[in-house]
Amino acid sequence: MAEHGKSRREQDEEFAREALPWMEDVYRFALSLTRDPADAEDIVQETFLRAYRSWHTFQLGSDCRRWLFTICRNVFLRTRERERFEVELEDGDAEALAAVRVHQQMMQDGTDRILTRLDLGPALARALDELEEPFRSAVVLVDLEDQSYETAAQVLGVPIGTVRSRLFRGRRQLQERLMHFARDAGFSTARDSTGSSGTGGHGAARHA
Amino acid sequence: MPDGAERIDCLTAVRQLWDYLDEELDDARFAAVRHHLEVCQSCLPHRDFGRQFLEALQAVRHERPMPSEVRRRVMERLAAAGFRA
Repeated sequence: MAEHGKSRREQDEEFAREALPWMEDVYRFALSLTRDPADAEDIVQETFLRAYRSWHTFQLGSDCRRWLFTICRNVFLRTRERERFEVELEDGDAEALAAVRVHQQMMQDGTDRILTRLDLGPALARALDELEEPFRSAVVLVDLEDQSYETAAQVLGVPIGTVRSRLFRGRRQLQERLMHFARDAGFSTARDSTGSSGTGGHGAARHA
Repeated sequence: MPDGAERIDCLTAVRQLWDYLDEELDDARFAAVRHHLEVCQSCLPHRDFGRQFLEALQAVRHERPMPSEVRRRVMERLAAAGFRA
């Protein structure tokens, strides 16, 4: 695997410096894909083994994390026997509007307060686990791993518009789950059962 | 109106709200959405809620620590493949 002009030791040092620090990130991404810790570990092992064996193809100075995410995604797809996600929709704008409608509902019944009142980490992590592919991996790459739309598109092998619509739909579904969670947690100011007598109203948002 | 930003309506602004929060808009569209949010009290809560939501989501990273034995086993496999740290 040695690149011309570099010793094996130099290559290993590069790999240790450039690739290994991203192991936690790759694990999180793998876990989001598999939803199973044992499967995620298998994928992480395979990802780093492949990355090590093909280290000569990595261009120093380019984005190593993106490269590892791409390998990870490919390893995962192989384990799933070419599982296809063909529920494509290309209308990110419509999804963005739908998310705003969810927020309007939450303002009306007071459940929007939950974002500032509770540690939502465990609830959101659970909601994320329940989110279907291909929305989950778009949300994980952009929102947890802080990747741009363009990088996420490269990792997932789809156009940017597809990432955008998947991401926005994923976020909207998470917000809907958050709203239900908030109602269960007693945040709703709406009357029981009818759900239409909220006291919040449009002007009740405390953010402004 | 600051920096001659284009005037846009609420519908246009909220359609681009996620792109705005993700800083994925070009300069002109970013300025247009930002200006709209500065003057529109109806849309501002959506921006604040979206921002808080994304911050909460980002924090989910900490809910998923990698078990230490995963790193050990990865290193074992790499060592078996010839890697020397």
